Amino acid sequence: MSAIVCSHVDKAYGATTVIRDLNLSIEEHEFVVFLGPSGCGKSTLLRMLAGLEDISGGEVSIGGKVVNDLDPGDRGIAMVFQNYALYPHMTIFDNIAFGLRRQKVPAPEIDKRVRAVAATLGLDPYLGRKPAELSGGQQQRVAIARAMIKTPKVFLFDEPLSNLDAKLRNHMRVEIARLHQSLKTTTVYVTHDQLEAMTLADRIVLLKDGVIEQIGSPAEIYGRPANIFVAGFIGTPNMNFIEVTVARSGNGWTLTGAGTALSIDGAGFHLQPGGRAVLGIRPPDLKTARDGDAGILQGTADLIEFHGNDALVTFGSGGKEISALVPARECPVLHAPVRYMFEEANIHLFDATSGASLRQQ
Amino acid sequence: MPRRSSLPVTFVVPTLVILLILSMVPTLYAIIIALQNRELSSTAYSWVWFSNFFDLFSDRRFLNAVWVSVKWEVVTVVATMVVAIGLGVLMFEVASQRLRNVYCLLFIIPVLLPRVSAAFVWKFAYHPLYGIATYPYRLLTGGLIFDPLSKPSTALFAVASVDVWQWGLFFAVIVLKLLETLPPQPIEAARLDHAKRWQIHAYVTLPMLKAPLVSLMFVKMIESLRSFDLIYVMTRGGPGVATETLDMYAFSQGFIESGKVSYASAMAVLMMIATVITFTMLWKRVQA
Repeated sequence: MSAIVCSHVDKAYGATTVIRDLNLSIEEHEFVVFLGPSGCGKSTLLRMLAGLEDISGGEVSIGGKVVNDLDPGDRGIAMVFQNYALYPHMTIFDNIAFGLRRQKVPAPEIDKRVRAVAATLGLDPYLGRKPAELSGGQQQRVAIARAMIKTPKVFLFDEPLSNLDAKLRNHMRVEIARLHQSLKTTTVYVTHDQLEAMTLADRIVLLKDGVIEQIGSPAEIYGRPANIFVAGFIGTPNMNFIEVTVARSGNGWTLTGAGTALSIDGAGFHLQPGGRAVLGIRPPDLKTARDGDAGILQGTADLIEFHGNDALVTFGSGGKEISALVPARECPVLHAPVRYMFEEANIHLFDATSGASLRQQ
Repeated sequence: MPRRSSLPVTFVVPTLVILLILSMVPTLYAIIIALQNRELSSTAYSWVWFSNFFDLFSDRRFLNAVWVSVKWEVVTVVATMVVAIGLGVLMFEVASQRLRNVYCLLFIIPVLLPRVSAAFVWKFAYHPLYGIATYPYRLLTGGLIFDPLSKPSTALFAVASVDVWQWGLFFAVIVLKLLETLPPQPIEAARLDHAKRWQIHAYVTLPMLKAPLVSLMFVKMIESLRSFDLIYVMTRGGPGVATETLDMYAFSQGFIESGKVSYASAMAVLMMIATVITFTMLWKRVQA
């Protein structure tokens, strides 16, 4: 049975539609990440699941029960907020116990459960303190404890790590992953950080302007992006896009653009002779070319960004900026001529007008 | 003294001196008078030291005035805070943004009225025959007379209601604005934590607003001490001594009934001492 089902869900504020006819089904024990740029509706969608926003149209069910008109407290969910949303005047113990007290759980049991949850998250020493006396990471752990103690059917995370510094964010990300491994609670996690999405998710739901662009495992989304938006949004550094004209040549195809003509086999793509397409290549898929290689992009290195293990080389080819991520030891000097090749298995082709992938399913 | 710091001193000192003179001279003079036996009817006086104070404690009308003052203070402060928090929360829960603005405007009007005008308006509203506030009673009982201002049991509450009408509604606006400044997330978290609406306010929003609400209460406590104009217009301390607060009694002893200014000053000095001690203790208590 699916844990969460959204069917034909709409959300509008007055005349502005934020989410349009959204259909989504989330399985039990799954870790699903809503990913997208700011304003894509991912947080709104999460808040609709939580019951903090009204649903303008369609139906949301959690655990097989339609929850459209249920109060947030009655939906069997728990939520962790971006800014922790702790009760500032209560001790950590009272913060964690608040929900149980409202449900009239007997005091000895509350005490037992709070201590158990606090032990899991390493909050024992802080139970008597106020939130303001804790660091950001500790506060977020309290927020997670407050969510965990309710043993919900579904965890909702609304950008929980955005307020933390980079190092703490990595640490908490690992903790959340471990927590999901041990609790196996269905989790919906909103973020705009693709690294969080890639590392945590069983499935990523990529949203743009209130519409789902693609749903899939991190590997699928990275390896087989459904359209040019997904391809451009996922992956750091960003994918190179080159507008090309497609022509037939012998058994294969020739892509002309950015000052070069590239011959490809073309099997696996729906190509039209004379059509226009966008060629996508991820920077790490460009390798330093040797003599005799096919599929070569060349130019002069304009900019070199040193990353440690690798270096990002940006070069101009036919007026188009192209980046290649190469091992640092192969890094060219600035303004030197560079030649990079790619393998056909690693390229992406998109329709120039619709942006949809031309890959055969 | 270095040259740089002389400018602020130049500006501050004259004002401070004027303030000190204005506040300290009457205070000291009141203390001096309280130790004498001056009366308005003659210029002769002698030093009687503390006998005015001893007399006060055997004066049953004075003890009554103390009791009325305490009642007045408790009733007006508690009722104002209850009305302010109740109405503030109610507006926060049910009123739309536009309605809130309308209510806020309406609720500020009473406090803008001068106290004496408000007192006259309500004195007439409480009129047993023509008053709008007593109209429902006449209607329901078929014309029976109810005069809240001339019954000892209701007079104090009738006057207090005017005070609450002015300040409770105004404070309701402040409470609403305070609630609006709170971050929404803890409220949302409480909703997810199974809290009912009243529980959200009882356990989350109002405790978060504890400091400003306590400040508001202090403002009202100080304001309630200045009840003279309201009581003077509406009941003059009556019926009998039912609404005679300390300032009313001191005024009538000093200027109306017997002209015993020294006796009245002794009361004023006692009031000052009691107020300073009470407020210092309360303030320390709240700060801790």
